[in-house]
Amino acid sequence: MEHDRPAERQALERLAAWCYQYSSQVCIPGDRNGLFLEAGASERLFGPPDRLCKRLEQELGQLGYQAMAGSAPTPEAAWLGAREGLHIPLPGQVRQQLGPLPLSLLHLDAAQQAALERMGFRQLRDLLRLPHKALTRRFGPALPDYLDRVLGIRPDPRAMYHPPESFSSRLELPAEIHSCQGLLFPLNRLLEELCGVLRGGDTAVQLLLIGIGHEDHEDSLVKLGLQSPTQDAGRLMAVLRERLERLRLPQAVREIRLEAPTLLRFNAGQHSLFRDTPAEQRQDIEHLAERLQARLGNGSVTGLTGVEDHRPEYSWRPRALDERPDCTGLPHRPTWLLPNPRRCTIGSYEILAGPERIESGWWDGHDCRRDYYIVRDSDGCTLWAFREYKPHRGWYLHGIFA
Amino acid sequence: MSSINQILDSTPLLWKGRQASHGQRALPSGHASLDSHLPGRGWPLGALSELISTNPGLGEFRLLFPVLASLGSQGQWVILVDPPWIPYPPALQGQGLLLERLLLVRTRGGRESLWACEQALRNGRGGAVLAWPEQIGFARLRRLQMAAESSAKLAFLFRPESASQESSPAALRLQLKPGGCHGTLIHILKCRGGCPPEPVRIPQPFSTIGNPRQHIEHHAPSTENIIPATLAGHPLSTVVPGPPVPGAKLH
Repeated sequence: MEHDRPAERQALERLAAWCYQYSSQVCIPGDRNGLFLEAGASERLFGPPDRLCKRLEQELGQLGYQAMAGSAPTPEAAWLGAREGLHIPLPGQVRQQLGPLPLSLLHLDAAQQAALERMGFRQLRDLLRLPHKALTRRFGPALPDYLDRVLGIRPDPRAMYHPPESFSSRLELPAEIHSCQGLLFPLNRLLEELCGVLRGGDTAVQLLLIGIGHEDHEDSLVKLGLQSPTQDAGRLMAVLRERLERLRLPQAVREIRLEAPTLLRFNAGQHSLFRDTPAEQRQDIEHLAERLQARLGNGSVTGLTGVEDHRPEYSWRPRALDERPDCTGLPHRPTWLLPNPRRCTIGSYEILAGPERIESGWWDGHDCRRDYYIVRDSDGCTLWAFREYKPHRGWYLHGIFA
Repeated sequence: MSSINQILDSTPLLWKGRQASHGQRALPSGHASLDSHLPGRGWPLGALSELISTNPGLGEFRLLFPVLASLGSQGQWVILVDPPWIPYPPALQGQGLLLERLLLVRTRGGRESLWACEQALRNGRGGAVLAWPEQIGFARLRRLQMAAESSAKLAFLFRPESASQESSPAALRLQLKPGGCHGTLIHILKCRGGCPPEPVRIPQPFSTIGNPRQHIEHHAPSTENIIPATLAGHPLSTVVPGPPVPGAKLH
């Protein structure tokens, strides 16, 4: 199998963003498959470096990466320590702990490695005993510079990584997946990675794009929208699960992609004990609406609001949840409106109140002239009927006072 | 002192060491004659209440206005799942419901509708869910009731008359029948703690005497008898659904 260098680089960048949860100074060295994290500043939060390293190894393992971590006062020393799983707390101990390491572990190019072996050097401590001038003369300034940086004699400034404005990740599936249920596990991995990145950058997502790659077929695209930004993998998973119920896979799936085109700022907000503040009730409703819409389709969950129009059938409309309702309450209106007025015989009803003349709509071609009455039928039901003069004469039922 | 007790009694989320005599947490319905017959003196919290009506328009939904209005003012939500007609915002607003905290869910019916109802009942805590299930069996009803219990919600199911012949695990079952000049009669078919034999009488709205050509008066539920001013009587069953009025909006 060949190395897919661009994909490796992309994976490293995603991991760097993910590691932002644990350190505000992350560096991707251009020349090797690894990351440098500054761990001293967050020691109070995450504990001593060796505990942090263990946690990183464990969590990266859950994401599907095999990681070795080590810590030391300098980056290069930490790199060497990582190969052996060493943790070097003090600068003075670097020489002692790293001394026995074989030269093959050092970050040197192959020609230099070979030359050093021929000269009989086996361990790092052998190299460290030599005077600078001798090393410079034989190998050029790079090697002593490297050793100085390992020991901390020379500073080793690194270019810091800056997290990007968006997130994009893909996963090639080891075996073809034929059912939507089977996609949940790999998608969960991608979601966990995304949420680590979000936590690290104090950001949140409100829109996710999921691409599903097939062998011989155009990619399937799934859009997942939320009512409010979130960092919560559980919530994303709940909505995703409902959305996948609706999805038809045209072919087996070989690859999945997850993209969050915009990362928004995140406000955590307070939580109360019973979750009964209006704000939290609203949040719960938003989460419900997301899940329902993921399964039933957009527009299946709405609020209601009024419209300024005298004609009853035009005086209301559905509204999105984040829109404020604006409606005047009217006391003599039926609770329910029939979707279409139904012809009726007024003789079968007893008129309780009326007429209320509604005459309107000459400007949009649906004008009407009606007299509305509140009526009661022989079964005791209270209904809303009107007598239409224009456009069609006749008596109709329009509402129910249920 | 009594007001503190009222506040403590009204929130369903607070467990009190010695429960009320019925052990049923309930929210007052706003109709004193109904409450006096119900265990817990109101609609049961965390349980199903079935409202069975011979015909729509007897006042089955209007019964709920007081409790739904009070939920809204406490910051809790009312969810309507697949109502058979259009809930009319000016009327709801006029009766005190908070449109800001009203959710309307439309599904393709059948199992999807029941699924949505169950999701709504399981979500969060507090509030009310109202549903009009087309067909629902005992097992499903039990699931909905357990879902309501898990979130301490009020759950109202509106069911056709045939449902009165079926068994149901709902905590409360009311059947509404026309009572002629007595208004609407509510028969309590089932409630926790035994049912009263006589029906509860709820007056109908817009009871008025006299000339039908009056202008609309401010409506108040009146206990006066209706003097029928019927015109030539044809029963409702002769109403034939006609073609839609052109321009009438399909929701």
